[in-house]
Parts: sequence; C-alpha cells; structure tokens
Amino acid sequence: MTFDLQRILESKQSLRRNLASRLVSEKLAMLDALRDRARTIRAAAPRKESPASPDSAQESPTGAKKP
Amino acid sequence: MSISQVITLVNQMEADGVVERYAIGGAVGATFYLEPVATLDVDIFVAFRQEPGQILISPQPILDYLAARGGVLEGEYIVVAGWPVQFLPPTSPLVEEALANAVTVDVDGTPARVFTAEHLAAIALQTGRAKDKARLLQFIEAGAIQAELFQSLLAQHGLVDRWLEFEQTFLKDPP
Repeated sequence: MTFDLQRILESKQSLRRNLASRLVSEKLAMLDALRDRARTIRAAAPRKESPASPDSAQESPTGAKKP
Repeated sequence: MSISQVITLVNQMEADGVVERYAIGGAVGATFYLEPVATLDVDIFVAFRQEPGQILISPQPILDYLAARGGVLEGEYIVVAGWPVQFLPPTSPLVEEALANAVTVDVDGTPARVFTAEHLAAIALQTGRAKDKARLLQFIEAGAIQAELFQSLLAQHGLVDRWLEFEQTFLKDPP
C-alpha cells in the first residue's frame, strides 16, 4: 500500500480494466451481488421522518425506485 | 434469482411472439462492455407488436405473459427473478436505431441481445442525467467505443453540440 496518489489512481484504473475484461456471465453475477448488497444497505439506513412525497410513493417493496 | 434468469425469460417471450424484438440497455447493458456498476433495475427496450387498427401501444401482453410465469407487477416495474424489470418502447430515433442494431452476446450458452457500446454511449449523452454522464465517461476512459462510429451517431442524431459541451466540461484538461 502507498499514499502516492498517482499510484493509487493507476491501481484503481487497473482494477476497473480487470473487472471490465471479465466474462459477461461473471459481470452479471457481480451485478446480482451488488444489488443484494445495495438493498441490504438501503434497508439498514435510518429512515427520515418526513411527510410522504410523491417521489417516496414510487418506492417499491423491492427497494427499487422509479428512475 | 439472477439477471441470467431474466434474460432466459425474455428470450422465451420473444420466441413466443409477445414482442418483436428486445434489447438490454441501461446499466445492465453497459456492464456487457464496462466494469459492473450497482443498479437496482433492468431496462429492456422492446419493439411491441402492433395489431391492425391499434393506435396505442400497450405493454399488457408482456405483463400478462410474465405474470403467468411468476412476475409481480410493482408500479412501473415487473419483478422477475428478483429483479425489477422495466420494459420501454423506443422513445427516439436513436433508441429505435439502437434496438434495430443491437448485438447478440453469448452469456454462458444463453444469447442476450444488448445495445452496442456506441449506442449506449450516445443514448447516455442524449439522456444527459448525472449518472448518464458518468457512464459516458466510463465508456470513453475504458476505450470501449469506436470513435468513428460514435461520431457518426452523434452527427446523425443531432448530438454534436451536446458532445462538444460534454467534451469541454469533462475531457479538457484545465490550462
């Protein structure tokens, strides 16, 4: 590990390239895992006590929101 | 519960004649070319079958088909294999072209039709939300699009000025 910003950025680029070059089936499986993780985080997040807005009414039980 | 299951079901739906043609767009489509980025839904663009004399296009046949196979309607989405899926008609000539020119990619033996990288990038530019701009940057940084093809799409669909603005904002190093 290093605190050299240039090397950190290069390492991030390299990781992104590596992920992008994986098989599509692997990447789709990663999307499945990422979505499960995002849903867990959303469910754990503290909810704001505010009046319901039209936007919040669009929230689905799955955690998905209208784009 | 996986995207692969969604793709299998949509292939079957096309084979059964419910839709004429489908193609995956959005973040899931981009994942075919880039590193995966978390998304909560799947955007599937479809050419709807139109009956003679029918003026309004209805997604009802799709919803009925998927509901009979375990899909659950939730607002604008139908949840299939755990994924909220949104079926979208092509809303611009660019998206129509993207659907017509979509390519088939093999996913572990299952064919999946997806927009080309150039069309996904051009649609991101046209849509223009913050997340679309971020996606367009990803395509450029990854070298995932053919510049000549992309430029020709921009010219064809009146996006050159928008591209120049994007380029000026995000791709020019400050002096």
